[in-house]
Amino acid sequence: MSAEETEAAAAGWLAREDRGLTAEERDALDFWLSQSSLNKVAYLRLKAAWQRADRLAALKSPMPMSRVRWWSSRPRTWAAIAASLALLLGGGVYFARRAPSEQNYVTAIGRMQAVRLADGTQVELNTNTSLRADVTGRTVRLDKGEAYFDVVHDAQRPFTVYAGNRRITDIGTKFSVFRNGDDVRVTVREGRVRVEILDDAGAPVVAQAGHVVVTKGGETLVLAKPDRDIADDLSWRGGMLVFDQQTLAEAAEQFNRYNARQIFVEGPARKIRIGGSFKAGNVDVFVLLLHRGFGLSVNDQGSRIVVSR
Amino acid sequence: MGEQAIDQWFMREVLPLEPMLTRFLRRNWRNEAEIGDLRQEAYARVYEAAQRERPALIKPFLFQITRNLMIDRLRRQSVVSLESMADFEWLNVSDDKPSSEAYVAARQELRLLQAALDELPPRCRQVVMMRKVDGLSQKEVARQMGITIETVENQVAKGMRLLAQALGNRRGAVTSEARRYNSFRKPRDVR
Repeated sequence: MSAEETEAAAAGWLAREDRGLTAEERDALDFWLSQSSLNKVAYLRLKAAWQRADRLAALKSPMPMSRVRWWSSRPRTWAAIAASLALLLGGGVYFARRAPSEQNYVTAIGRMQAVRLADGTQVELNTNTSLRADVTGRTVRLDKGEAYFDVVHDAQRPFTVYAGNRRITDIGTKFSVFRNGDDVRVTVREGRVRVEILDDAGAPVVAQAGHVVVTKGGETLVLAKPDRDIADDLSWRGGMLVFDQQTLAEAAEQFNRYNARQIFVEGPARKIRIGGSFKAGNVDVFVLLLHRGFGLSVNDQGSRIVVSR
Repeated sequence: MGEQAIDQWFMREVLPLEPMLTRFLRRNWRNEAEIGDLRQEAYARVYEAAQRERPALIKPFLFQITRNLMIDRLRRQSVVSLESMADFEWLNVSDDKPSSEAYVAARQELRLLQAALDELPPRCRQVVMMRKVDGLSQKEVARQMGITIETVENQVAKGMRLLAQALGNRRGAVTSEARRYNSFRKPRDVR
């Protein structure tokens, strides 16, 4: 029996108990409980929740519901204030006024930071990223790394990201751009973006929510991806790396973006496919699992970790 | 320990760890559909162990058992899948200090319960409120709502499952770090 079915059965028993059991029913319940610890724990779990709900009696008048609701919303307000303070005080990014018309944002390896541009657009910078925003906040140049944009839409003033030889223009949206030299990858979570090659008369590509645009030199590829893959692509925003059937070589490359200690995977081990979610900064745990899970040998040389069969 | 004492112990000491356990499972097990099974199996093993001897340190014991279950399952899977079982959080579960989650202040408890209650579907919510807030019996609830007692019973069964789920998922006492890491982890599609 699945946990789901066991739980449904347990809920049935508790609901009857809540109504009042006959002697035969009591015996039948005792028998059911004695049959398996799985039955027993499912029963106890729901019973505990149902007993906890007795506290709801405190909501009975004269205490007005609206009052309860009022203070239940308070902590969220405080959390929001705390979050904005943290943003204001946040380390990791330093601001350097390069020219009066431009603002520079830089994150070191393994650091992430959220910033707000002049127009209100929210930008989250991933590890080892450098970007410049003009004074209006509507034009951004991604020099390297990765950033996620939650754009304040303004039909009069489109929001534009320059990355290498690509121009990405939002049509009201949330998206991320990753630049590694001339390779640019755009992941669209909401809305639509237009991706163009600069100095090229070719038609621009329009990508919408659920699309990933991969560009290399003059080539542009648009892939429709399931929500899950889009979420995986953006999981760095939560400090996680999520892999789903990626090769070990690709996974190591991802880890290396976040850590000074670099992983080198050698030989046939490069082709092993893995899945899982990992904290981006936790290289040690990752290689430990490679060792334990696949029996790979791990040679930790300090700044280099060599993994092989 | 008699059976009643074990039941009480289980409800008092083990079940309050559920939000932490659920988060741990979510973070380390990609298939959302299997989390309920894993949790139930872990609970059953803890319960059976306690019938022989009550573990001195409950939290590490529960997590150790859960971890072993995950490893067993991974070994049985044909597709090689590696999940971060040696998760940071797991490595730190070594003491048995009462977690802040196990002891929720009365006011916070009420807030959690009310949030869970608000999530129930309308009819279910009304039945649960009449039963728990107004303290009416199932029979009285049926009479006042003009529905059969079987319907009330079904709604009670449904309500307690949804409440247990909401309380087991609650974000009330999550640390800021955990919240940050969890912030973009949406529930996975059922595979």
